[in-house]
Amino acid sequence: MRYRRGLTLVLAWALAAVLPCRGGEDVAAGSPSLSLKGFGTLGIARSTNDSVQYVRDLSQPDGVNKHWSSQVDSILGLQANLHLSELTEGVVQVVSRYSYDGTYTPTVAWAFLSHDFSPQISVRAGRLGTEFYMLADSRLVGYANLTVRPPPDYYGSLVFSYINGMDVSATTPVGEGLLRGKFYAGLSEEKVPFNINKLLWDLEDSLIVGGHVDYLHGPWQFRLGHAQIRFKNEIPLDALAASLGGPPGFLSYAPELSAAGKWSQFNSLGVVYDNGPLQLQLMLSQTRHESAIYENSKAGYVIAAYRLGQVTPYLGYSKVKSSAKTLASPPPAPLAPLAAGLMAQTHSDQHTLFLGGRWDIQPDLALKAQVDWIRGTPSSLFPFHGDYAPAWNGNLTVFSLALDFVF
Amino acid sequence: MGFTRYLLAALLALLSALPAASAMADLVVVVNAESGVERLDRDEVINIFLGRYRVFPSGLAALPIDQPANLPLKARFYRKLVNKDLDEINAYWARLVFSGKTSPPRQAASPAEVMAWLAANRGAIGYIERSMVDARLRIVLEFAP
Repeated sequence: MRYRRGLTLVLAWALAAVLPCRGGEDVAAGSPSLSLKGFGTLGIARSTNDSVQYVRDLSQPDGVNKHWSSQVDSILGLQANLHLSELTEGVVQVVSRYSYDGTYTPTVAWAFLSHDFSPQISVRAGRLGTEFYMLADSRLVGYANLTVRPPPDYYGSLVFSYINGMDVSATTPVGEGLLRGKFYAGLSEEKVPFNINKLLWDLEDSLIVGGHVDYLHGPWQFRLGHAQIRFKNEIPLDALAASLGGPPGFLSYAPELSAAGKWSQFNSLGVVYDNGPLQLQLMLSQTRHESAIYENSKAGYVIAAYRLGQVTPYLGYSKVKSSAKTLASPPPAPLAPLAAGLMAQTHSDQHTLFLGGRWDIQPDLALKAQVDWIRGTPSSLFPFHGDYAPAWNGNLTVFSLALDFVF
Repeated sequence: MGFTRYLLAALLALLSALPAASAMADLVVVVNAESGVERLDRDEVINIFLGRYRVFPSGLAALPIDQPANLPLKARFYRKLVNKDLDEINAYWARLVFSGKTSPPRQAASPAEVMAWLAANRGAIGYIERSMVDARLRIVLEFAP
């Protein structure tokens, strides 16, 4: 199984190497043209704790422990841009990464037509990457980002990577800066993996709507964002409960844990300061779930970086904390511990200090090294996968190396 | 403390490298003379070249043009405009391109092509050596030496 996964990845990379690429070059206006580009990361990571598996985000079914592994961060993406006219473009992006089913099976991450109705208003329709938080729609493109991976305390619970739908964005000068707004709506088609028995939650046809307002002024960029999802299908709690010794139809005893038809909401604030060699990022978020199976949480991070020639050292701090819910109509006493145990799986309470460096070796190629010191309570289970061995004390250090490239 | 000192040393090194850059030929931002654009401020040029807002104050759509990356002109322009290396500009565009947003400026293969495109498109905007400016073009932004 592992061998086949590796082979798929190697084949994908080999394919990328032989494909003709135009390196993003443009041609004269008016004439339709096709350009092929790509991005990728060859990354390895390991942690210092075998009690849990560290994942980049919860869409990965399992993660790394004390053995070096390339599955957390390695990614390959290929993109074709078809310029139909100066104002209309078609884009298809295929990404191979370690995903919900434990394989690197390439998925279509983006496939849309965009049209600029004016220099101010642009509409895209098709499959679009989600942008629940600032920078979230480019979180797989290591080369575009400073850190090895987007801070998992903040971005790790985002299992939604695309919608089938449309978005509208508009930009206008306001004061000395630019005001930009975007609204999007669509249906999900993805699956969320669970630790137990390889159970999957099918998000197909779940409605996702959201939008954000940006203000850009000089080196400053501010964003207020909101996104929400209404789950179409039931979370597989009956199967999860059954595999833990619960009765059939567990959800009927604890209906508040049901997720079908319920909304989850994501509010966020982002500030980026990017002035010459100095970069600062501050992000805050608040997540609220109608379903009692998910705890509401708050998260945030800050990153400071200063470029010195070809090397950019950075230092960051992230934190996530959720609050436990109480059930208004709890299940019968014998089932209470099971319900509590399932609800406890979505608890987060940890912070991470991370230190790293990005070395721009040559144009389009960067090497990064990073250490993450994760410190949390033993009850902080949600950010990880695994069996949560009793020895889990909430503390973990992660070492990462990544080679990011674009072509 | 040691880190702060290192930062200061790096800053000083950076500053001392600046006079050498200004000794090179003058770099100016130009538009097509028929565009109706008289003057742009630095933020407006940043918005156009970084794809944030590609509209001239008159409402005309702006069409930015990049010099070839293998010539020092391009690196000097982005250094003067936003104090960034081309690596950083590449990373900036990687984010936008792979999230299906704005495209980078149109990439010319030679300075002659830049001149030809500037002359042929009313909304074109580019950066060239001051000595290359002719009657078809108008200077809209100069960088302090």
